[in-house]
Amino acid sequence: MIPEAFALEEAFLVAAGLFVVLAIAMFYRAVVGPTTQDRLLAVNVLGTNTVVILALLAVALDQPWFLDVALIYALLNFLMSVAISKFTVERGGVL
Amino acid sequence: MIETLRFWAAVALLGLGVFFTFVSTVGILRLPDIYSRAHTASQTDTLGAGFALAGVAVAFGWRNVTVYTVLLLFFVFVTNPTAAHAIARSAAETGVEPLLADEGDETDAETVADGGEKR
Amino acid sequence: MAANRVLVPLSDTVTVRQTVDYAVRSGLEDADELECHLVVALPYDEEMPEGRTQAEEAEELLSRARNWAEEDAGDAEVRIETAALGTDEYLFGPRDYAEIFASYAREREIDRIVLDPEYQPGVTARILQPLERELDRRGVSYDEAPVDRPARHGRLVTGGQRFDQLFATFWISFGFYLVLGDPFYWFDIVTGVAVGGIVSTTLAQVTFSFPLDRVRSPIRVGRFILYIPYLLWEIVRANIAVSAVILRPSMPIEPTLARVNARVRSGLPLTALANSITLTPGTLTVRADDQRLLVHTLIPSAREDLFDGGLEKAIRFVFYGREAAGAIASPRERDDADVVGGDEL
Repeated sequence: MIPEAFALEEAFLVAAGLFVVLAIAMFYRAVVGPTTQDRLLAVNVLGTNTVVILALLAVALDQPWFLDVALIYALLNFLMSVAISKFTVERGGVL
Repeated sequence: MIETLRFWAAVALLGLGVFFTFVSTVGILRLPDIYSRAHTASQTDTLGAGFALAGVAVAFGWRNVTVYTVLLLFFVFVTNPTAAHAIARSAAETGVEPLLADEGDETDAETVADGGEKR
Repeated sequence: MAANRVLVPLSDTVTVRQTVDYAVRSGLEDADELECHLVVALPYDEEMPEGRTQAEEAEELLSRARNWAEEDAGDAEVRIETAALGTDEYLFGPRDYAEIFASYAREREIDRIVLDPEYQPGVTARILQPLERELDRRGVSYDEAPVDRPARHGRLVTGGQRFDQLFATFWISFGFYLVLGDPFYWFDIVTGVAVGGIVSTTLAQVTFSFPLDRVRSPIRVGRFILYIPYLLWEIVRANIAVSAVILRPSMPIEPTLARVNARVRSGLPLTALANSITLTPGTLTVRADDQRLLVHTLIPSAREDLFDGGLEKAIRFVFYGREAAGAIASPRERDDADVVGGDEL
């Protein structure tokens, strides 16, 4: 049975909200560090969270094309992580 | 009937996705060093994202866009371990020392106690 | 007067002949004696199928180069040494090549390296500039041979291989395009063919740096699909174990570094194995040099699973078939796994 006044869309909206809360908690690690790699890892996980949030919003707002955005975002997120970690190794320094 | 089933299936998948992402976030905030945090980061990437995207796929049903969720999950699965490895390797090369438990003696308790999260 | 010693890395390019010629002539300019080391660096180690064919090609190239050098030397006092380098390790980037040349040069007191401007060992891209930068960093003096034809020439790939690469790349990109678009709309099909054509002609050689096998490659894809459920099961198990540890207030983690010598070939199989290990929570590949994986493990149960080698078996099944997977003992049994200290990083 589906509870009244609680449609599928709203369940996804709530889930997206929870993911946002978790993403904000993750910001703590991104800000505090202590090493560049810690921040990078946190930002990478944040990126994955963003992808999931986009996918959830695609259902919640019934905008399937959000998934295109999510796809591109996933690819960019990967490129960013590899590029930055390569950068920190090759230049031997911290950003 | 089918609608009800789909609703609860989607809600259950979302719940699991949120749960594993929650565990992963807790882990990233609690664990003492970059290497152990990388382990728990892969929880978000695998089951957190996996269950949530499965929920999305269930909600969309048999539509064209459902393929997208599979593609998304595939990308996340292929790219994120590579990124995690790149991060861990860059940490190793810039000389970040891992905190290690020395063959199961009491140092691991100590390790956790003075972990890096309380800075 | 002491003899000049010069090291010439060779690869199968159109300018390699001129490079050898230049190395011999310039080496004889200010000395009457020359010791000329001709070397080929092999990207793969010899245990792999590609490695063996490459080793044979290298031998052939070395014997040809020896003849050239003897021709160029004429009456002068030239000693020629040939060697294949990197037969026991997997060379990845310019850094590895620079390192191996530098150490060879150090051992034999070679003071100059002559580089072929088209130098292209093994696969895909030319690495001259990054190689020069790495040599600079190691303080090795090098010299680029002036050649007449610095034109770009691809490696000689046989027609069949080239076709296979184009074919596979085309269908992968075309299929992906149609998944994103509408497979029944003529406009998407036409533009998809155009995009697939452009992608395959420009990127086929980059995408597949290894030769495709018309029979075995599709079988591997099929076995890989069988592998996915197994991987997912392992991931679920590991996730639950790690979650239990993290959520417990005392957080009983036991981080260790373990070294595992994987019995899979470098390249795609090793990448697949290392990625699967990283994807499973509780184990994280920190380094993958040759087949030696340095794995950080978070909890003892994850370490036990790693040492039992389930994933390694599965990867061997994907790439080599059922017999190869069944025949292998676990890393623990064959003594290829041990816990190491942090200084191994």
